[in-house]
Amino acid sequence: MKRLLTTVAMLLWAQTSGAEEMRMAVTTSFDNSGLADVLLPAIKADLDLDVRLLVVGTGQALRLGEAGDVDAVLVHSKAAEEEFVAAGHGTHRREIMYNDFVFVGPKADPAAIVDAASAADAVQRIEAAQAPFVSRGDDSGTHKAEQKIWASAGLDIAGFGDWYRPVGAGMGAALNTASGMNAYIVSDRASWLNFGNKGDLALLYSGDPALFNQYALLPVNPDKNDSIRNDLAVKLEAWLTSPRAAALINGYKINGEALFVFNATP
Amino acid sequence: MVSVLFPLTLQGVAVRRQGKRIIGPIDLVLNPQGPTIVIGPNGSGKTTLLRVMHGVERINAGSVSWAAQDRSKHAFVFQSPIVLRRSVAENLAYPLRLVRTPAAQIRETVAYWLDRIGLGSVQNSPATRLSGGERQKLAIARALVRKPDVLFLDEPCANLDGHATHEIETLLQEISAAGTQLVMATHDMGQARRLARDLVFVLDGKIHETGLASEKFAAPQTAALAAFLRGDIVR
Repeated sequence: MKRLLTTVAMLLWAQTSGAEEMRMAVTTSFDNSGLADVLLPAIKADLDLDVRLLVVGTGQALRLGEAGDVDAVLVHSKAAEEEFVAAGHGTHRREIMYNDFVFVGPKADPAAIVDAASAADAVQRIEAAQAPFVSRGDDSGTHKAEQKIWASAGLDIAGFGDWYRPVGAGMGAALNTASGMNAYIVSDRASWLNFGNKGDLALLYSGDPALFNQYALLPVNPDKNDSIRNDLAVKLEAWLTSPRAAALINGYKINGEALFVFNATP
Repeated sequence: MVSVLFPLTLQGVAVRRQGKRIIGPIDLVLNPQGPTIVIGPNGSGKTTLLRVMHGVERINAGSVSWAAQDRSKHAFVFQSPIVLRRSVAENLAYPLRLVRTPAAQIRETVAYWLDRIGLGSVQNSPATRLSGGERQKLAIARALVRKPDVLFLDEPCANLDGHATHEIETLLQEISAAGTQLVMATHDMGQARRLARDLVFVLDGKIHETGLASEKFAAPQTAALAAFLRGDIVR
């Protein structure tokens, strides 16, 4: 298996003003969805709080939290999040919203996954056809979800050939690569809907409950260092679970289709 | 030296947010032989254009294609970079640890860049205590530790004093001469004249004029670029 160099894009949205400022590590899928463009200005307006985003994969976001480099983490990999809290790196885990993962691929669909009975069946068909498949390959929540699907189908990616291409990149970049190669890829639905360089790709399979994708907020344990602004993380959590956030999240649509469903409980 | 990643081709690229056009439509082919400087008034779309090239800005129309797909060869330095809440040396080590670089190689690379940017004496200090100029040098070095072919920089000297700006420009000239392709946005015309081989003039979200910097500075083709170079307010 050809392993491309891994990389993590650490992107920063900087605003400078007199407002208070906190840092949050978020997934590239969240950033690529465009929802941040809606939420951050509202947070600034309502709380006078600048939230600076470090955009990375879920695994790296949790490691930034573990190191105390950020004040909160917004990611989508439940098992890893629960480990993070259990290890004392986060104060707690609060579910905010969900969407789902989808299979995207060439419109010609050489592996015929459009007829798949399940997500596991879809990857079995791709493996049987040896059809080009782009993997995030970056320890992100999407990457972990994809690995789980291969495992559930009884397939070991270690034995795959060149048709399996881990790119070590964020969701947008990985989708760009898939578009360039006309390859299959697992994406979160929001990033796919918001992706503008679709080329000859189409959404081919979705709907298996195994593709559920929950996002959660984890405030970082303030005992890690004196720079951590747990007070601001708590303020942000209250806002993200409020009716105002619910309206913005549920109302965020592309071509009439909602990208996320708010499901925070009071 | 030209990176194998080029040419970079943008075809019909447009970015819209909440119904508002930010840039586009843009058609541009970059195959630079030296630093490419993107100039234009504040709000003209320079930052968005750089983010599109780097692949981190969602486009609503068009396509972006590189000659080679290896995104590990790109790096980006933002106008106001975040330094991690770690020591100066650990900030430099961070990108290398992400790709599981052997410890000895990390030590060697970090030592080289600490010396190169003159921060060896504060290597164990918290990076958050650095001055603005020092932070920016650290951010540039952090972007370079993995030897990217292409380095995007968004107004890296904004809000810095003359001394810090000079230090950063010297560093950029050195890394450019060593083969890293620079694509940089600035609204500082003096800086553009000092650094640019190629010039891209952005106005109202569109490419208004592009070409060799020496020719554009000497004889701009459009009234808007001429006015902008004179320091007039251009909309």
